Amino acid sequence: MSILEICQWIQNSSVGTSIRESTYTFPLIEASHVIGLAVSVGTIALVDLRLIGVALKDEPVSDVLEQLQPWTLSGFAAQFLSGIFLFWSEAAKLYPSYSYRAKFVFMFLVGINALVFHRTIYKSVDKWNRDVVTPWQARMAGWIGITFWALVIYFGRWTAYNLK
Amino acid sequence: MSTLEFFKWCDSTWISLVIRDSTNIFPVVEVFHLFGLTLLLGIVTVVDMRILGFGLRRQSIPAVAKALEAWGVGAAVLTITTGILLFLSEAMKCYANQAFPYKMWFLLAGIVLYFLTQRGITKNTMSLGVMKLVAVLTLVVWYGVALAGRAIAFV
Repeated sequence: MSILEICQWIQNSSVGTSIRESTYTFPLIEASHVIGLAVSVGTIALVDLRLIGVALKDEPVSDVLEQLQPWTLSGFAAQFLSGIFLFWSEAAKLYPSYSYRAKFVFMFLVGINALVFHRTIYKSVDKWNRDVVTPWQARMAGWIGITFWALVIYFGRWTAYNLK
Repeated sequence: MSTLEFFKWCDSTWISLVIRDSTNIFPVVEVFHLFGLTLLLGIVTVVDMRILGFGLRRQSIPAVAKALEAWGVGAAVLTITTGILLFLSEAMKCYANQAFPYKMWFLLAGIVLYFLTQRGITKNTMSLGVMKLVAVLTLVVWYGVALAGRAIAFV
């Protein structure tokens, strides 16, 4: 069984079919995907802008990061869950899409970026917590984060255009 | 000029024609609309949740509101500018759309609410009770704009 056949099977399952053919379920899932986007990427953007040194400049980096983290994670959970249901309903259409694949590549890279940031320069945050101009590694993490998340949004939106 | 004539005029400007004639301009503008929306709603969420006692609690309410004011306005300007371009390219579609007027009323309410309350929040002259009410209203109104906007594609 090829991956495309598996996707076809997912899409044709009763859950996939009922989402696709519903009047309200699909739009409601789309709506949670938009709310999740604002809460997750919106808060991530603020943390990244703080790292770059252009927003919330008077606030300590760790205050911004730690207090917004639960919002980022819950928003992302909403994104992930609604994303699974959207995929469920159109798996075979989404799987071959290059923009859909690109979206996941950039989500993976953005995850690596966050992981590296937390494991390296963020460990010494106490030394630069109040600096407007943060160490270059932190600024780089901010720039990569905001750029790659923008690309995730870009490829996500582009996927819908390519499906038609 | 009637509403219909106004929408017809919007639908036929040279900008409308340029966007309609191109395959790529509409999606690109829409992506920037999404960038603006994400940042704007992110900021609205962070500021209003702070007023309600969540999120950036180690910072004061006026400090959070003041620090994010320029970014919020910038994000709103980006979202509204790109929104106008999208609207011009399909004004007649919007005219016939049931969700579109809701989106516009929510948007108007959001802008009015902002100008009525922002000074009271950043200068801390508003009582916390009123501020919390404003925060709830602001959240409802701006998420209303986004959800009614998303609904345009479905109704």
